[in-house]
Amino acid sequence: MAELLSSIAIPLVFLLITATAFIKGVPVFDNFVEGAKEGARTAFDILPVMVGILAGVAALNGSGLVDIITGLLQKPAEAAGIPREAIPLLLIRPFSGSASLGLFAAQIEKVGPDTFLGRALSTVMGSSETVLYTLAVYFGAANVRNTRHAIAASLVSSYAGMLAAIFICRVL
Amino acid sequence: MLNVIWVIMLFSGIVTGLLTGRSKEVSDAILSSCGQAVNLAIVMLGAMCLWSGLMKVAEKAGIVDALARLLKGVFRFLFPGIPKGHPANGAIAMSLSADMLGLGNAATPLGILAMKELSGINGNSPVASNAMVMFGVINAACIQIIPSTVLIIRQQAGSENPGSIIPCVWVASLVSALSGVIAAKVLERVSKVPGGKDGPALRHPV
Repeated sequence: MAELLSSIAIPLVFLLITATAFIKGVPVFDNFVEGAKEGARTAFDILPVMVGILAGVAALNGSGLVDIITGLLQKPAEAAGIPREAIPLLLIRPFSGSASLGLFAAQIEKVGPDTFLGRALSTVMGSSETVLYTLAVYFGAANVRNTRHAIAASLVSSYAGMLAAIFICRVL
Repeated sequence: MLNVIWVIMLFSGIVTGLLTGRSKEVSDAILSSCGQAVNLAIVMLGAMCLWSGLMKVAEKAGIVDALARLLKGVFRFLFPGIPKGHPANGAIAMSLSADMLGLGNAATPLGILAMKELSGINGNSPVASNAMVMFGVINAACIQIIPSTVLIIRQQAGSENPGSIIPCVWVASLVSALSGVIAAKVLERVSKVPGGKDGPALRHPV
């Protein structure tokens, strides 16, 4: 059911929009091309933002800093009920999508997908987003320099969700 | 704020690399990230054109307006200050729906479109409006009905029931979204727009 929904969602949206426009007499293709031109310009505007963010993330990932911080956080985290194995994922999830996905895939092989840890890591991964990248791209596309409290509020949201994920898996 | 965060990321990565003798890894990673960014951007270029074009058609056909009217109540609370019947309403609705359905390739272009609409309402100012921040935060909270990527990886790892985590994901996403909305609403009182109608100049421009 769920798989069916996500596989037909896009074709249905296409059908609905183009059919409605056609019936209403809107010049469908002309408008499509006009909109697509704006889209192309936006995509070019985002490239420099992507290069910058990915370079920063790469510097962090390549340096092994995550392992060092994990070591430092181990004691306090375990006291709070957060398993040591979850710390690296919690640290990099908001910053790097590809690195966190790679880490998640490697860890779940090791701990087993149906153990408490495997479920906890899956829930962390499934309920969170690469906050920094998303915000940088969205605000970069809109030419916003001062994002005010966006990053702070998103990190609050991210960590509340990820910590909740671990505790929910302990209970459920 | 990215002005600060970016420097911190680069600086801590490079210095740690120097201290731990991993400079070569750092250097390789930085250089290969440029190619990665271009690949991502090219994939995005096509998706951006497709969805921007389709959204333009939807706008002209009045679908965006209809969608916006449907979600009026929630939007008035979350994104105050969007004029009635403005295309931003519909763009936000489309983008959040794509997010929830886990349509990654559609969600990003639609999100960018919505953010640009919101920026237009904000006079294309370089300072984000409350509605723009709220939209960014909700997007980053990522309420996904079916976390398909995670399910695929669980299946590959030999899980007996890959979908068993879905209820947990829903609860965690809800916690994440609610705390994000609350954090944004609370922080918007503190983080004033410099010289804007929301208050006096910001002491620490971020």
